[in-house]
Amino acid sequence: MLELRLVQGSLLKKVLESIRELVTDANFDCSATGFSLQAMDSSHVALVALLLRSEGFEHYRCDRNLSMGMNLNNVSKMLRCAGNDDIITVKADDGSDTVTFMFESPNQDKIADFEMKLMDIDSEHLGIPDAEYQAIVRMPSSEFARICKDLSSIGDTVIISVTKEGVKFSTAGDIGTANIVCRQNKTVDKPEEATIIEMQEPVSLTFALRYLNSFTKATPLSETVAISLSSDLPVVVEYKIAEMGYIRFYLAPKIEEDDDMKP
Amino acid sequence: MAADGALEIFPQIQALVLDKLQVVSYKWLSRNFSVSSNYAKRLLREFAEKHCNELEVIYTLSGWLKSEPQAYCVKLASTYKLEEVKQVFKDNCSVQVYSVQACIPSDLAVIWNAEFVQAEELFNQPLTEGNCLRDNRFCGVSNSFVKRIVDGKHVGAAAPWPMNGKRVAIESKGISTVKGQPIQHPQQGSGAKNGMQSSIAVSSDNSEKVALDAASKVTKPPLIKESVSGGNTGKNKGQNVKSSSGTTSSLASLWGNASAKSKPAAPAAETAIDTSIAAATAEAQICAHEALDAANSEDEDHHNNHKRERNSVSGRKRRVFLDFSDDDDEEENVTSLSSPDVFKGKHAAESLPKTESLLDRSKPNTAEPKGDRLSDGLDSTKGKNSSLPSDADERIASITMGGISLKKKTNSYNQGDTDKNNKDVATTSTSPKRRKVLKTRIDDRGREVTEVIWEGETADSNMPEKNISVNDSANRPPVANKAQAAGIAASTNPGKGGNKKPGKGGLKDAKQGNILSFFKRV
Repeated sequence: MLELRLVQGSLLKKVLESIRELVTDANFDCSATGFSLQAMDSSHVALVALLLRSEGFEHYRCDRNLSMGMNLNNVSKMLRCAGNDDIITVKADDGSDTVTFMFESPNQDKIADFEMKLMDIDSEHLGIPDAEYQAIVRMPSSEFARICKDLSSIGDTVIISVTKEGVKFSTAGDIGTANIVCRQNKTVDKPEEATIIEMQEPVSLTFALRYLNSFTKATPLSETVAISLSSDLPVVVEYKIAEMGYIRFYLAPKIEEDDDMKP
Repeated sequence: MAADGALEIFPQIQALVLDKLQVVSYKWLSRNFSVSSNYAKRLLREFAEKHCNELEVIYTLSGWLKSEPQAYCVKLASTYKLEEVKQVFKDNCSVQVYSVQACIPSDLAVIWNAEFVQAEELFNQPLTEGNCLRDNRFCGVSNSFVKRIVDGKHVGAAAPWPMNGKRVAIESKGISTVKGQPIQHPQQGSGAKNGMQSSIAVSSDNSEKVALDAASKVTKPPLIKESVSGGNTGKNKGQNVKSSSGTTSSLASLWGNASAKSKPAAPAAETAIDTSIAAATAEAQICAHEALDAANSEDEDHHNNHKRERNSVSGRKRRVFLDFSDDDDEEENVTSLSSPDVFKGKHAAESLPKTESLLDRSKPNTAEPKGDRLSDGLDSTKGKNSSLPSDADERIASITMGGISLKKKTNSYNQGDTDKNNKDVATTSTSPKRRKVLKTRIDDRGREVTEVIWEGETADSNMPEKNISVNDSANRPPVANKAQAAGIAASTNPGKGGNKKPGKGGLKDAKQGNILSFFKRV
């Protein structure tokens, strides 16, 4: 028996919207600790890891570990029927091949039930080791989204270089080149607006903008984004989900063949 | 008291600092919770140690300077610069927490805002109200000029009490008469008045909070206020308006550093400050002075700018006069020369349609030679309004809209989609009676030939031909078909992703790393 009640239903909607572009089918794993998902995109270049801790739910009951395979587009279709202020309850019985989404309007005058068929998905679970990253950049998520969007209109890969001066996003395309440098900035009116760079050593990596752009679909979830970089490791783009957990996107870097590409 | 107090106060500080993003300084804390400033500092230090990850601390360092041994100096420093600033002092300086805040504000005036608003609130309280600022309860300085009341007892002597009181009265009266509202919200009224909503709106959260906090402690009988205002005669009546703006001005001085937006209000603020100086209380007076300076300098800048602007404008005109002073009809020249803007505007307006029409032409030109002829045909027939859009029409329209090379495949594709395109076509193009139709066929040498022919009323007669050509396309080699299909897919999906993927997929795969090479399967 699984039953989780989330007062801030819009959060679940946002989560789905942020990953469904990258992954079509995925297993939602429910355990006593929380509600999680790990999935790779079809080309095995990017990986998304989602965690919503049980404490974040108003009510959380999960008798035994449960893995529910769902088509994310279908989930999204169902969740789109929920109002932004609705309370969402997810229910599933052990051994059942369906999951039920229940939407309650804030003043309890409307209750909607949506039952969705589950599917069998054999997905491999990857072990993600804890790693020390050479550089971690924290910046406003909207700023990062803007940069990725802007750069993708010029090129299709971005070189992210972190130095002690700041973080540089650069791209090159048929029409020209672009460089965007964000300096460390701690003196701001709100902590969310700060750009903070924690750097052990300078690092420079190349990534496909197409994936980064789909990561930025998670921007509504958090005002800040943390980008962790290490040479020889996938970049981690993390959006914290208020008091509940996180959504992390991992992206394998592009392999640099010619050194003159590096700045 | 220490333990109990801390337990009560900590959550409040936390809420203020982390949720409301207010700067909490020891002064503010001491006044707000009526604790001694030393105790407030200790509280802040404890709080900062507890929450060191979530907030920024500004320290106050005081001691004798290395460079000037005679000078006792007090400096503020953030955590990052603490060590650096310590070096400036001789052997041991005292380090205390000045304030805690969620982040180091970009405008340093913010550090002082909450405190100032609070001080003003306290001084604005009616005379009968005793408060920590008036009775100097927490003052650490003691000499014969400082009067201090601790637990209702006077400590020290020869205080400037009456004078102080009068000032307060004047100021508070100013506010109350104009607003006819509780004093606790002077910020809002003045904000609206000054047209500085933008700058104040940002901070009004804070100030309101402070005001509310103060309000919870203040009980202000209006009768007393009335009597006080009655006591202040004629002069004050005349000053009512002014002194009210005086308080706004002191607020303006509060937010004075956020310059750009408050500039329009600056002249008013300036005069207001003049009157308010008399009405200001000890601390506020200093502030007002500072603000006045700031306002003055700002104003000067402002005026200068204006002058420069005006100079540049009028100067140009004058030069025009001089240059053409020989001519009889100055005015004509002047108008003609001084109105290049109008001309430009006109010119632009005139040239706009032209360029547009050029664009109209050039768009199809650049897009595709085949589409060009086609759309020309459409253009020429645009004027005529005929009603019945036939199948062939729609096909043409949809083809030109796509701006793609036209092949039989496209025809068949569009035939399938006619219904979908129907609406679009109806709105975008008017259907002509006579129209050009595109036909593509494979000639005897195996080349693809695209022809544009006029199709008249006898559309029906052409239909079979088209069908044939479509059939032809079906007979084409599969490779070519595939390419066409890809082309269609690309051009019918205007999305960038669609275009990019097929083109660069090959390249990307070669260089793109795989996530599986980093993480192992469990």
